[in-house]
Amino acid sequence: MLRFLAVIAAALVFAAPAAACAHPRTSLNYLQGQVMCPTCHTTLDMSDSQAAQQIKGFIAKKVAACWTAQRIEAALVANYGQAILAAPSHRGFDLLAWWLPIVGVLAGAIVLAFGVWRWSRRKEPEEPDEPDEPTDSGLDEETERRLDDLLARFD
Amino acid sequence: MTRRLKTTAQLIAFACVAGLLALLVWSVVHQQHAPGVGSVAPSFTLRRLDGSGRVSLASYRGKPVVLNFWASWCEPCKSEAAVLQRDWASYRGRGVVFLGVDYHDLNSDARRFVSAHALTFPMLEDGSGNVTDRYGISQVPETYVLNRRGRVVAHLRGPITDPGFADQFQNAIAKAAA
Repeated sequence: MLRFLAVIAAALVFAAPAAACAHPRTSLNYLQGQVMCPTCHTTLDMSDSQAAQQIKGFIAKKVAACWTAQRIEAALVANYGQAILAAPSHRGFDLLAWWLPIVGVLAGAIVLAFGVWRWSRRKEPEEPDEPDEPTDSGLDEETERRLDDLLARFD
Repeated sequence: MTRRLKTTAQLIAFACVAGLLALLVWSVVHQQHAPGVGSVAPSFTLRRLDGSGRVSLASYRGKPVVLNFWASWCEPCKSEAAVLQRDWASYRGRGVVFLGVDYHDLNSDARRFVSAHALTFPMLEDGSGNVTDRYGISQVPETYVLNRRGRVVAHLRGPITDPGFADQFQNAIAKAAA
């Protein structure tokens, strides 16, 4: 019975902060992949530098205080500038970073498709035309008549 | 038609390669290097750490300046802080200006650091590290000593408390103030 009560108490202790959040809680693990270490230029999850540890501590505190990921990122941008985020923003000039790769891949796919289409057309074997009618020999009528007469002798 | 298409594709490919090459050259040319001794220190304007306005390096032209780059997460900066404060107290009467530049740091932690070490010389924040990059700072603490004309007299890469730097720092200040 005592053990059961202890489990219930522990569950309540750990569940209380989560329940206090009015929205789904973000996590340190998620944000570590979204935020850069300013001194080592890798994401936080790949760095253990002092500067990275400081930011991880800040994020952990804010996550515990129910801050959303967006709010934490905004606070970090206000402090360190836009370069603290691993991904560029979806506004203004930064949009190029999102769209250029897509445009590049599409352009490459189009060029590739066009190339394959042309190559396959060139490689198709040309079937010889089977003429239904005998081709014109190009001889004038008189010569043709005399040739027919000559050939008739061999029949 | 085919030949024109081929030429266009070749031109586009050439333009792409030329663009990438130009970008590479530009990045190499614009790489930040630490200003050497005798060269003019890069100018800057930064916000005060306590939020009470901005400070420009140019406003101190005519005075020797000790420019110390630090961060609250930097361990050697802690032992250096007391020495800097003591030197600031002894040199300020002789017109020497001490400026602290806090870089890549959380503002709240930096303020706590200043308060904990009772630092009274002006503290500036360079959260983005733009100014710090122009000074070629690769580790903290690092200290520049500038003369009255804004030229670099000394650049100490490490805490001024290091045995090798203590004399060098004092000599540099004396030289800058001369």
